[in-house]
Amino acid sequence: MIAWRRRAPAFFAALLLIGLHCAALAQTYEGRELVHASLVADSSAIVAGKPFTVGLLLRMAPNWHTYWKFPGDAGIPTEMKWNLPPGWKVGEIQWPIPLILKEPGDILIYGYHDEVLLLQEVTPPVSLTESTIKLSAEATWLVCEKICIPGSAKLQIELPVATQNASANDELFARYRRALPQNWPAGKVASASWKRNGAELQLTVESAALANYPVAEFFPLPEGNLVVGHPKTERGAGGRIDFRVPIETKDPKLASLNGVVVFGQDENGAGRNAWSLDRNAAAAATVAAPSGSLAKFLLFGFLGGFILNLMPCVLPVISLKIFGFIQHAGQDRRRILRSGLAFIAGIFAWFIGLALLLIILKSAGREITWAFQFTNPYFVLFMSAVVLVFALNLFGVFEISLPQSANRGLLAWTAREGEAGSFFQGVFATVLATPCTAPFLGTALGFAFTQSGWMIFVMFVAIAAGMSSPYLLLSAQPAWLRLLPKPGDWMLRVKQLMGFLLLATLLFLLWVLGAERGIEAVIWTACFLLALSVACWMKGAFLVPTASFATRALVLVLMLALVLASGFYFIGAKFNATTLVTGDSQTQGDWRAFTPERLQAELDQGHTVFVDFTAAWCLTCKFNEAAVLESSAVHDAFQRRGIVKFKADWTNADPAITKILKQFGRPGVPMYVLYPAGKSPILFPELLTQSIILDKLETISPDVAAK
Amino acid sequence: MKTKLLIGLLASLVSTALFAADSPPVGSTAPDISATDSKGKTQTLSQYKGKYVVLEWFNPECPFVKKHYGSGNMQKLQEEFTGKGVVWLTIDSSAPGLDGNLTAEQANQRIAEWKAHSTAFLLDPDGKAGRTYAAKNTPHMFVINPEGKIVYEGAIDSKATANPADIASSNNYVKAALDESLAGKTITTPSSRPYGCSVKYK
Repeated sequence: MIAWRRRAPAFFAALLLIGLHCAALAQTYEGRELVHASLVADSSAIVAGKPFTVGLLLRMAPNWHTYWKFPGDAGIPTEMKWNLPPGWKVGEIQWPIPLILKEPGDILIYGYHDEVLLLQEVTPPVSLTESTIKLSAEATWLVCEKICIPGSAKLQIELPVATQNASANDELFARYRRALPQNWPAGKVASASWKRNGAELQLTVESAALANYPVAEFFPLPEGNLVVGHPKTERGAGGRIDFRVPIETKDPKLASLNGVVVFGQDENGAGRNAWSLDRNAAAAATVAAPSGSLAKFLLFGFLGGFILNLMPCVLPVISLKIFGFIQHAGQDRRRILRSGLAFIAGIFAWFIGLALLLIILKSAGREITWAFQFTNPYFVLFMSAVVLVFALNLFGVFEISLPQSANRGLLAWTAREGEAGSFFQGVFATVLATPCTAPFLGTALGFAFTQSGWMIFVMFVAIAAGMSSPYLLLSAQPAWLRLLPKPGDWMLRVKQLMGFLLLATLLFLLWVLGAERGIEAVIWTACFLLALSVACWMKGAFLVPTASFATRALVLVLMLALVLASGFYFIGAKFNATTLVTGDSQTQGDWRAFTPERLQAELDQGHTVFVDFTAAWCLTCKFNEAAVLESSAVHDAFQRRGIVKFKADWTNADPAITKILKQFGRPGVPMYVLYPAGKSPILFPELLTQSIILDKLETISPDVAAK
Repeated sequence: MKTKLLIGLLASLVSTALFAADSPPVGSTAPDISATDSKGKTQTLSQYKGKYVVLEWFNPECPFVKKHYGSGNMQKLQEEFTGKGVVWLTIDSSAPGLDGNLTAEQANQRIAEWKAHSTAFLLDPDGKAGRTYAAKNTPHMFVINPEGKIVYEGAIDSKATANPADIASSNNYVKAALDESLAGKTITTPSSRPYGCSVKYK
């Protein structure tokens, strides 16, 4: 060491710098400032529980550079060691797209010149007692020009604690957020696949969008000790680009890398963009991407539509339709056919309408999914009202029918109100069907949603055909109606029973509202429903043909006044004022609220993670959770293996979650994914059993406790 | 320099300097190199056939090299393995005018000051040897077996930092590769990602 001081005073100064715990933020070398480091926040104040972003701002002397997460052939990435108070969390560094820097000897490095901002999300705990908070971190970096000098700085940032905050350093953060690689786009924009050819990995990207850029490069992010050579880009026809990455590894199975595909007008030019290629997501997308012929998916759609008839949310309506058939058995064939066709038309009308709406939304660039309308609380509210009114009708509260004929009420829905009644019954049955995803349907829709608008349309027609197929058969072949039981008084009892089934559906809808908007929203909805019930009772009791015109007019006005007034007050004012419930507050037990960043952080630490993609309005999800995921066998199996459990709550259609559903080719929830440490994720079927989960867990990691 | 080996003056065939993008892979035949050492002798790889050879890329100005010399870590390794009959060649491929370029005299002075124990210190100012191996870092390490095959290449150890305090807790891949080879065992880590400063080629 002493010899150096004589020989290399510069180095001695540099060594001093490493150990120097000074408040000064500048790294100097031979009297020159090489790196100026500071911490900046995108928020004027800290709000308890509210994440904000802190950036490490490094300003380098001209021609000097610091390094990217993967430095390339030489160099060391910048590191941050946070010293945070208990309860605080900090996310991974988000790295802006680096420059490619080439040195003689075919040395290629990834780094930053002049200035860089490395972003990290910081999450404060939910309660803070201090009035100001000082956050400190130690940044270490390597800065190189002709020579390399390690640098470090103990940095602090002090922010006041407040209940509200404003954004800060807008321009700086916006500039560097633009320079962050984006998530890999939908399959329709760019597909990615990996192939291993001996000592080379080949990434094939098919993207018409990329074809427009003269420069497209792959920046690898190899894990562990994997040695990677310099990726080469080969352009093919029709937007196909092959990136060849030489690798050196003992693992013969290694078939993909993390990295980013960087594209722009010129190398290192401003305005470059990048797509992040997550090895896990990409592998999963290729595994889970629906494959098969169009006919197969249409058949799945048809089968899914047929099975929808049996789903609990549809059964009450469907059973009434069956009653209609029973009632009409032996009647005029043409009349049966007409009523049946009207019902079917109702089913088709809803599905086609839904398909058109989805196509419009999709072309407007929105993420589309099955049952998306249930993510809107006002739709759920409307459905609650419809279901209640229908149930009251089944109970006989406001049957228009004459008292002596109990079955006339049914007729009112079918024969007497004619084809229009049948039509709306069809619509109603289908609307109620949407919160259920039947088997086959998920696969079929997952496929259709990645296709053109025309394909979505055809798929919905197939589902409608499947759902209406039993009625079509019964209408066309009334002889088969003989297989159904004879009409009788039992039908009245079944009808009332169905009323209760509808009330159960109502309970479910209210629970969905509660999950979306909280308990107050449920109470105000219930108040409105009470008023609505009274209006229905008034109609049933007083709005009868025997009453005088004056009475009827008065009752009608009172009814309308009641419904409108309660609507304005309970819904317009009170319900409207309730706020969205955030995913965090809904997580219970040992399930943690999901965010893509949290998932990544766990995976980076080498943990195995299970994610339950769920929504309050998803019945299949609730069934799976109660019967499988919360069962003691599965719960214990997770716990013994130390698997981290996340709940991704899609009740309010969180776009971050939508994106992940799409990566796996799924149109909606439920979706269950196991991310084994260091391996490709495993996608589970929509309907879970304990053995499916337990068997899979056994294959990824043996049960330690059982040994 | 307490070298135990005499170095012949025989000029061997100068291998073509391959301007390979990537280092010759582990398991392949180690390409020959030829360079003048700090004592003015010509050193070739082929003359050491039948012995284990370590190639160590060096730059006295690089903080990663200083990490291992300042702590005595590199000298200890050199002493241990040259004592076991391993040939250790330290190579400086820095081009004239760039950081770390040394004349023979400066090199000898540096060897004396740092008490280096390598078999020979090769001066490679034109970068021919460095480019043959696509050496990109200082330190960048290669281990070649008596049959002339590369058995290890990459970093010196598992902690890619410039902090000497990390040496104690890191896994020294070169030591492990030599220990395992000399004991007739399979090498656990035959390659790793090298870390350090870039080699200063012209």
